[in-house]
Amino acid sequence: MMPVRHLLVVSCALFSLGIFGVLTRRNAIAILLAIELILNAASLNFVLFSRLFGDPQAQAFALFIIALAACEATVGLAIVIGLYRTAKTVFTDQVNLLRG
Amino acid sequence: MNPLLPWIPGLPLAAFAILILVGRRLGRASAGVSIAAMVGSLALTGALAPAVFRVEHVGIQWTWLPHEAGRFQIGLAVDGLSFLMLAVVTVVGTLIQVYSVGYMHHDARFSRFFAYLSLFCASMLGLVMADHFVLLYMCWELVGLCSYLLISFWFEKPQAAMAGRKAFITTRIGDTGLLIGIILLAFTVGELHLDRLSVVRTQLVLGHHETLLTIISLLIFSGAVGKSAQLPLHVWLPDAMEGPTPVSALIHAATMVAAGVYLVARTLPLFTPPSLMGVLGIGLATHLFAGTVALTMTDIKRILAYSTISQLGLMMTALGLGAMELAMFHLFTHAFFKALLFLGAGSVIHATHHQDLAQLGGLSRLMPWTAATFLIAALSMGGAFPLSGFWSKDAILLEAHHAHPWLMWALLGGAIMTTSYVFRLYLRCFHGASHGMHHPHESPVVMVLPMAVLAIGATGAGFFGSPWLHQPLLRILGETVVHEDVDPAILLYSTVALVTGFLLARIVGFRRRSLLPSWLRPVGTWLYRLAANKYFIDEAYNRFIIQPFLRLTSALSRFDLRVIDGLVDRTGMAGWSLSQLKDQFDRQVVDRLVNGLAQVVRTISQLGRRIQTGLVHHYLLCVVAAVVLLLVWLGR
Repeated sequence: MMPVRHLLVVSCALFSLGIFGVLTRRNAIAILLAIELILNAASLNFVLFSRLFGDPQAQAFALFIIALAACEATVGLAIVIGLYRTAKTVFTDQVNLLRG
Repeated sequence: MNPLLPWIPGLPLAAFAILILVGRRLGRASAGVSIAAMVGSLALTGALAPAVFRVEHVGIQWTWLPHEAGRFQIGLAVDGLSFLMLAVVTVVGTLIQVYSVGYMHHDARFSRFFAYLSLFCASMLGLVMADHFVLLYMCWELVGLCSYLLISFWFEKPQAAMAGRKAFITTRIGDTGLLIGIILLAFTVGELHLDRLSVVRTQLVLGHHETLLTIISLLIFSGAVGKSAQLPLHVWLPDAMEGPTPVSALIHAATMVAAGVYLVARTLPLFTPPSLMGVLGIGLATHLFAGTVALTMTDIKRILAYSTISQLGLMMTALGLGAMELAMFHLFTHAFFKALLFLGAGSVIHATHHQDLAQLGGLSRLMPWTAATFLIAALSMGGAFPLSGFWSKDAILLEAHHAHPWLMWALLGGAIMTTSYVFRLYLRCFHGASHGMHHPHESPVVMVLPMAVLAIGATGAGFFGSPWLHQPLLRILGETVVHEDVDPAILLYSTVALVTGFLLARIVGFRRRSLLPSWLRPVGTWLYRLAANKYFIDEAYNRFIIQPFLRLTSALSRFDLRVIDGLVDRTGMAGWSLSQLKDQFDRQVVDRLVNGLAQVVRTISQLGRRIQTGLVHHYLLCVVAAVVLLLVWLGR
């Protein structure tokens, strides 16, 4: 088996890329994608440690995460669609109605 | 206790009240009310005569203030002196009121005139019946008030208004002296009842307080000086001639001015030899002074005014000799002939509407009754033999001769002047060339009748004091037989004086020929001018008393305006300035503080606002940053 460190780096890299995408992307859908990436990174982390400690419960948790991600993506997309209907755009830097 | 006494002044007082309230509605009937009241008083006075002649005490008293120390009794009393005055006031008053019906016929304020006359008569009657100094003083003031009201009756004329004021203020000066005298008497001796004055005198003389007595009596005399127009307070009487002639006749000839003489007569026990000398001096000076001025006047009423002043001076001279009965006797006869002279003058004025000798003349043919009665009065005043004036004046001359021989000669000089001015008036007015009048006619009966009655009085009144009838008048005044019979020497002197006066009047006054040699003429002219300008007394008073006083009052007024009002205004301004200061403080400091505070909050919120950008990715950044911080903090 390959050293844990390498997989952790991958997971960390995915996570960071996801964070970076959330913070940086203008398109709302792209933000959602980045969030999926974060979720995937977390899920990978679970699988990794499950293999490491030999506990299959973590793998089950990874399945939960996948289901959860699907739901959350749905809701997120519904919000984006609602946003599009109202603001006629999906770019977050063009929507500042809640500005105080 | 005589319950009818209060009605003697009470009836005219009631008439006054009625006429003041409803007089305008009564119109011409007002005179009836007033005259009826006077006739009533006259009747009551007559009813008192028997009692007075029997020298009984007639009086009535009321308790004014019940005081623990002793009841304060005040009331009316009638003795011989009061009775004489009552007779004069009621008789002459009634006649003059009848005369006024004719004289004031066309006046718009007819009823008001009779109201004032009634009030005057009521006050005068009260004055002579008062048995207490306070009541006397009250009536004294009331009489002065009526004089003021009646002098300025035609107040639309500014001279009449000024004359009324002058009369009131001048007599006020005398009245103040009288008041001080009364107060002094009250505080030193404590006795103000007029019938107990001889007791006061004895008390003070025994206690060696003659000076006090002298002071009190001179103060009382000052009231008489004002009221009876003696020197130096005589200045109001000539000006008072602005009033209607009946007023001049009643008030300023027969009655009110006689009140001063009455006062001195009543309070004679209080007069010490020094104060009697003062009375004599002033009386004599006034008598002669006024006589000289009367010789130069051209207005008929002014001549008679100065004549009144002069005759009052003669009465004061008699009082100064201590001869109260003779002074009152002369007051009695004077009332008749002087009132008659004034009514005659009024008759002339009413008919011709002129008052100045320059515009009158030759009226005897057109106004025979007036001329005849005037002549009788003039002869009486001059002292022609059996007329009334002779008896009273001669009695005084005799008394003067007994006291100080030179005095009799001085009074004879005065008598010459008296005859002179009155006949000058008579001749110039009723004889000689008429100066183009428009049909003057004799006055109506209602005016002539009182004049005729007064003429009878002027003729016969003297007999009441003559030795031929045993001098009933003098007896009721308290004097037993004064003189046995007419003194032939005095009779001679006075007749010579009468004739001399008449000749002077005729030659100098009437035919206007100068009797002086040419080298004396400048002196004569200078003397004439001095007298004709009344010795410049009015001008002197104005220059030395009135103007300085007015300057003082205007200076005080300016002080009040500038200093006192200035102080008040400046205090107000100071308050205003203080409030301005507070306003500035409030505005600059307090408001700035409050606003500044709000501004700080606003600034902070403005800064705080910038966090809410409304952009999702900024919020996401915050979330991430917070998570990171949390991890760091929890990781410690």
